[in-house]
Amino acid sequence: MGYIELNVLNNDQSPQVMGIDLGTTNSLAATWKDGHPVVIKPEHSNSGSVPSVIHISEDGNVIVGQKALDQATVDPRHTIFSIKRMMGRGLADIQDDLEAFPFPISEDENGLLNIDVHGRQYTPQELSSLILLRVHDLGCRAMGGAEIQRAVITVPAYFDDTQRQATRDSARLAGIDVMRIINEPTAASLAYGLDQSASGNVAVYDLGGGTFDISILSIEDGVFHVLSTNGDTHLGGDDFDRALAKLVLDQLEGKLSSDELADPALQQAARLAAEKCKVKLSEQPEAELHLVLPDSGINVRRNVTREEFEALVSPLVQRTLDCCLQALADANLEVGEVAEVVMVGGSTRMPVVREGVEGFFKRLPHTELNPDEVVAIGAAIQAHILSGGSRDLLLMDVTPLSLGLETVGGAVSKIIARNSTIPCQATEGFTTYADNQTGIDFNILQGERELAQDCRSLGRFKLTGIPPMPAGLARIAVRFHVDADGLLTVTAREESTGVKSSIEVKPKHGLTDSAVEQMLEDSLTNARADFEAGRNAGLVTELGTMIHATEKSLPNVIDQLDPEQLADIREAIDAAREASDAKEKDGKSLQSARDALEQATMPLAAVLMDSVAKAALSGKSLSDV
Amino acid sequence: MPSCPSCQAPLATPLVCTNCNALQDCEGELGPYEAMGLEPDWVVEPKQLKRTLLQLSRFVHPDYFATAEEETLARAERASAALNSAYEILDDDLARADYLVNRLGGPKENEERQMPQPFLIQVMEWNEILEDAQGAQEGSDEWNAMKELGTSLTSERAERIQMIGDLLTPLPDRESEVLTNARREINAIRYIDRAQRELKNLQLNAALGGSH
Repeated sequence: MGYIELNVLNNDQSPQVMGIDLGTTNSLAATWKDGHPVVIKPEHSNSGSVPSVIHISEDGNVIVGQKALDQATVDPRHTIFSIKRMMGRGLADIQDDLEAFPFPISEDENGLLNIDVHGRQYTPQELSSLILLRVHDLGCRAMGGAEIQRAVITVPAYFDDTQRQATRDSARLAGIDVMRIINEPTAASLAYGLDQSASGNVAVYDLGGGTFDISILSIEDGVFHVLSTNGDTHLGGDDFDRALAKLVLDQLEGKLSSDELADPALQQAARLAAEKCKVKLSEQPEAELHLVLPDSGINVRRNVTREEFEALVSPLVQRTLDCCLQALADANLEVGEVAEVVMVGGSTRMPVVREGVEGFFKRLPHTELNPDEVVAIGAAIQAHILSGGSRDLLLMDVTPLSLGLETVGGAVSKIIARNSTIPCQATEGFTTYADNQTGIDFNILQGERELAQDCRSLGRFKLTGIPPMPAGLARIAVRFHVDADGLLTVTAREESTGVKSSIEVKPKHGLTDSAVEQMLEDSLTNARADFEAGRNAGLVTELGTMIHATEKSLPNVIDQLDPEQLADIREAIDAAREASDAKEKDGKSLQSARDALEQATMPLAAVLMDSVAKAALSGKSLSDV
Repeated sequence: MPSCPSCQAPLATPLVCTNCNALQDCEGELGPYEAMGLEPDWVVEPKQLKRTLLQLSRFVHPDYFATAEEETLARAERASAALNSAYEILDDDLARADYLVNRLGGPKENEERQMPQPFLIQVMEWNEILEDAQGAQEGSDEWNAMKELGTSLTSERAERIQMIGDLLTPLPDRESEVLTNARREINAIRYIDRAQRELKNLQLNAALGGSH
């Protein structure tokens, strides 16, 4: 005979943690509850996905999510989307996107992007932090108002150092303690591996709204060891929409002036209509592309067959398969040695993508788990591991791009090769080339190309304080360390004299530490206050309901409570009222008033339960009790 | 064998005590063999090496110290990085040979650059074949010559690795003459690897170009 283990005492003592999938088009959180990862969904909703869209009104009011998305065609100029594509990038990197963005973007002297909304400049990091706050807030509410500070946030595996740093900075701005930045495909593999105790080589094909990743892993004995990764941080469902939108916009060419064609509202409407049509085409062989913009009197319908669509987007699918080929070569594997293929990201719902992947890997890809949720689930599993909840699983990820330094003549000296398991470290020796040279400039590079100018510069630093000596005698050791988040730190020292020199890397397209501090201070992160206000409002509502319910049932059972219990209840109600009515709402006192009221009304609840039970036994209806 | 200051159990690696899980304090560079708890030797069993990496990672990976205090977390980062770097060196024949020659005080890569004339002529021939194969059609003479070159490079590389293995087994004395020979073989393999990389790129580009 079997038995059920009742784990009453071990009531999940581990601290509450969250995994956040911060996506280009949608973001989602998951948490760990009762031994399982759970996707966070608001009550009465079958999806927890929050559109990664922000609307900012003239008076500075910020809305995030579906309601912001609804503003895309109404107020396109102030509705910001695809922020992830701008993270850690400069203007030159996002040329293709600029045309599609109805909001003006500029670059400041540090190469940092600024999005102009009502004359105020927002960095992608700040905007991204607003999305994080919203998702985080939903998560906290779903967990009963708990303040979950620690989170794992996912990024595309092919994100470079500046993009990862930018993500980390936006979490800091949101006041979230990032336990780890993990790669989306790796997170997804955890979610699949957990259910299927998989082993062998697995390919994770992750095509999201704006980014594409392919990762090849070997899984054995609970260790998820990434062998190689490849991808394109500028290729996703957005590009499929654009190809389709172009179809209907081309139709309007000649009929509308070029100004009318460039109207942001029209562009947005076309993009959204294209997305709708794309989604339908995954279900049916033909769908209508319906572009309607009442204010401009535009109403265009066009039938699109799946075949037509697939011909249009096949170059995009091919680009993903090219990445797969490179990843396999880097993992030193043949197609036949990949045992499982896992599909991740909403864009993998398209039959043209599924067929392309199946044809490439010569096996049917896994699509059992919801491709929109699997990354957040994996992040929650990792958050659980990081909070000390489990030692059964271990992730060993890699750095996606080689890291090195510029050498004389503009060449690159690679110090850490791409696909090196992280954390990792390597030291390279340099020397002076002139007599009595006291400083050396270094340019830190990331990328695969041979020339420094073709790689991305992560920043420059100058090693100073080298004691004067003849050329070639100084022995300078430059040490690269990539930590478990995939973030690089560089240190340097002169070894013959032991002189250590501190260095400060100036991030390109990124925020300096002091800039982050400044922003945090500048209450730009009113956002944090907004979050607390939101949470406090939730608590006030909850307290109101509790007080009402208590006062309603109290007269019926008043003679069954002893005076002490009664006094406790009255006192708790008073305290709850006071906290709710306070001019300056304080989260802590609201929370403790809530907890105290719950505690005080326990005897009342017990009596009520008792009378309900008795009523049921005696056949009386509940309302008579 | 040194023992753990916390529980006195003998330490299999200076990085961590696999008995009481205590991360050890090991500032400074640790050799790859030491990190993995192995005696320096040419022969390394790949499967065993991978098993050791995964097993030790379970003790030192920073994921398991995310809530620990800063110093402990920093130790975990260092220990894990040391293990991963050790694995990359020991698992790769060429990197391991290079490391052993350096460790035993043999000539450095840039100190023993001279290659015999016949070898250099051979390298020039490889380059010609590879140049001719640029943009060649699959099945053409140029393409087939490249494929043949690939096969012969693979076997030549294996022979030279074998030779290095013979030279380094048992491990020679410090600064022994043998190390110079090993260094020459390593340098020759670098030429082979460069040609192999070029060859792979040609094939990959052909595969990518052909699929469009």
